[in-house]
Amino acid sequence: MSRAWLARPERLMPVVSLAVVLAAFVASPLVSGRQLELFDAYNALQGFAQLGLLALAIGITMIAGEFDLSVVGTYALGGMLAVSAGATSPLAGVLAAVAAGAAIGAVQGGLIAGLRIPSMPVTLATYIALLGLTNVLSGGLSVTYPNSDATLWVDKTIAGIFSPRSLVTLGAFLALALLLGGTRLGRELRAIGGDRRASRVTGVRVDRRLVGLFTLSGALAALGGALLAYSYASANPDPGLQPLILAAVAALLGGVSLAGGRGAPLGLLAGALSVALLAQIVVTTALPDYSTQLLYAALLAVIVAIESPGLHRTVDRIRARRADSPRRYPCPKP
Amino acid sequence: MSGSAARPALDRVQVRVEGLARAFNGVPAVRDASFTVGPGEIHGLCGHNGAGKSTVVKMLSGQLTPDHGRIAIGGTPVELPSRQAAQRLGVALVDQELSVVPALTVGENMLLGDIDAPLVNRRRTARARCRQILDGMGLEHIRPDQPVTTLGIGERQLVEIAKALSQNARVVILDEPTATLSDVESAHVFAAIRRVAATGCSIIFVSHRLSEVLDLCDRVTVLRDGSTVATTAAEQLTVDELIVQMLGETPHRLAAVAKPATSQAYALRIEGLSVPGRLVNFDLTARAGRIHALAGQLGSGASDVLRALAGLHPKATGNVRLRDRTVPYRDPVAAARDGIAFVSNDRKTEGLFLDKSVAGNLVATRLPHLGRGGVLRPGREQDAVRSIADLAGLPAGRLREPVRALSGGNQQKVFVARCLGRNDVLALLLDEPTRGVDIGGRAAIHRLLREAADAGLVVIFASTELEELLELGDEIITMRDGRIVRRYQGDADGSALMRDMTHGVDQT
Repeated sequence: MSRAWLARPERLMPVVSLAVVLAAFVASPLVSGRQLELFDAYNALQGFAQLGLLALAIGITMIAGEFDLSVVGTYALGGMLAVSAGATSPLAGVLAAVAAGAAIGAVQGGLIAGLRIPSMPVTLATYIALLGLTNVLSGGLSVTYPNSDATLWVDKTIAGIFSPRSLVTLGAFLALALLLGGTRLGRELRAIGGDRRASRVTGVRVDRRLVGLFTLSGALAALGGALLAYSYASANPDPGLQPLILAAVAALLGGVSLAGGRGAPLGLLAGALSVALLAQIVVTTALPDYSTQLLYAALLAVIVAIESPGLHRTVDRIRARRADSPRRYPCPKP
Repeated sequence: MSGSAARPALDRVQVRVEGLARAFNGVPAVRDASFTVGPGEIHGLCGHNGAGKSTVVKMLSGQLTPDHGRIAIGGTPVELPSRQAAQRLGVALVDQELSVVPALTVGENMLLGDIDAPLVNRRRTARARCRQILDGMGLEHIRPDQPVTTLGIGERQLVEIAKALSQNARVVILDEPTATLSDVESAHVFAAIRRVAATGCSIIFVSHRLSEVLDLCDRVTVLRDGSTVATTAAEQLTVDELIVQMLGETPHRLAAVAKPATSQAYALRIEGLSVPGRLVNFDLTARAGRIHALAGQLGSGASDVLRALAGLHPKATGNVRLRDRTVPYRDPVAAARDGIAFVSNDRKTEGLFLDKSVAGNLVATRLPHLGRGGVLRPGREQDAVRSIADLAGLPAGRLREPVRALSGGNQQKVFVARCLGRNDVLALLLDEPTRGVDIGGRAAIHRLLREAADAGLVVIFASTELEELLELGDEIITMRDGRIVRRYQGDADGSALMRDMTHGVDQT
């Protein structure tokens, strides 16, 4: 990794955040007084599986300069549909969830692209509507999932640290990394996020890409919700806002810019892993729960500071002032 | 003089535009545009601001569908419902506005939106092709994997032009491609345009720089009020005749008058101003009432002088005194407070609030003087707006419209006028004061600047346009590679300035 390669924030930020959190993870026995075990890594990856697909769903829309708030609603609905449709065949449940998520995303994408309206109000409305829908479907209560074979299978340990759930999540990241990195779609997505007018003028099919993007984001969120519901053996009609916030934190740590036009699936992967590892560190060191939130805030503050143009400017100004003001103290001779 | 050695086949027709019309909300922008372009021809499209050039370009490139009229390419009538459809029929476009996406690299931008680009990236072939295209435009120093944000505005424009010219199109439309380019860069672009035209491609070239149009084009079509006035062979036209066609009358031309220094007292003294990597030891003693012109291409340091004075170069060093006070030129807010007003060369991102009203823009920089305790007094605000609008000759009926709705010339007037009529402004700095402004607007802005100087302000501007420098500059300082080449006190001529700016020799 050369310095030039790292100089771009979409690479620097995920590398730095993952490195910091990994170092802390490895150093955590110093605080906890207990050796790290494979199980700790497995747990961290389970946390990653819970959050990852949501972070991926929201992250790809942020790359294109949009913000899909509805992902948490789709996440809840996906769990609900998977639990009710997948009692006998878990696969059918997952497919039902993914199909519904994709359909919801396609409708939203169509509205956003066709009517040229911002995604925030559209997806906020969808989020609220979906929460209402899941409450109607469930009568406001958690719905239990009777298929205990499926529940055991999705969290089955593979190679010590993985589970089918975390492997599916990892697979989704890698598949998107290949798709966006290897085809012109990734370039077009970043162009749409970076300068939509220019993208249209140069001939990018902006509207089609937006519909495709929201379809994908809906499908990913629903898949995440379905896997989580299988793992918990129940579907929660209202997951709250915590998943959304963690997914957004993961995306920002992953080098995605709120302004759009920047980011990549592998960066998002590092961001999601960082968030999950941090949560695991708090568990292994038996720190109080609220310290997780403080640590996320601290990590975000560092990341924001790294790329703040205002900060760079101030540093430059201070340096320039130092350079031409007369030195008050003589420099020590070497 | 027509550029290409091999005469294009003007008797044959590759593009035919017939009776094209398009209205927006019932207001016609184009009424009856008709012209033909032969294979290998470079065809100029000229017109005053608002004549309908851009609308014609948008219809030809698939961004707008015409209400009436026909477009035929290669003898077949065509429909152009989208940019993709236009590309498929062989129409390439360099848009009026820079359409390079800053979030991507140079190479990615060159492939973006190209219908011939493969779905799956082929990095090596793509890189080799980009390399070849960039080299052909004299951009050997730009790497395809470089982020576009590392390039200057001019280089970004060159990348976009290179991309359009490389698309193997039958028709290439260039809408004001040289507006942001220096003369040297323009020369590269013209050479590339001629090469592409020589292969039989039709070029449609839209520009405000009329001498450039006459130099480059074979024929010129002039639009006025949305209709074709005439199509004339370029060799039969002079700039004045072209202006008459565009305006329908002989415009008033400013006389070149260099005023001698009236007062010996200096108002602004700059000593040893340097910006690392951009500007070396710039000195200037500017006197109130005179207009000082900095002549230099992009990268010559001319605009860096102004930006440093305005507090936009935090790394600048040197001494600047304005009426016996040291100017804290490292902070834009402090510089403004001490009486320095800066009009940047990019009114859209560094100047105007495009969505706010003309009135709101005019008073945006003087709000503290219009109220008490932070609360605006509407009466005073109105008075202020009216007096500035009068001063600048802005149409009184349009003050409530958003600035975005005005023509480029009027937008620039708003930008300049905002800095005038204020007793707290002592020095007015302008970077390319008439960029993208038509002839009428230019004369009005030049008049404003002269009046500002007469009112006792120090006026310093940077420009690359010879006519403007000669018309307006009482003192002209030519610059190259961050250094001053020569100072002229009203004894300059165009060829001397050009020589200094392009092949300058450091005097010191």
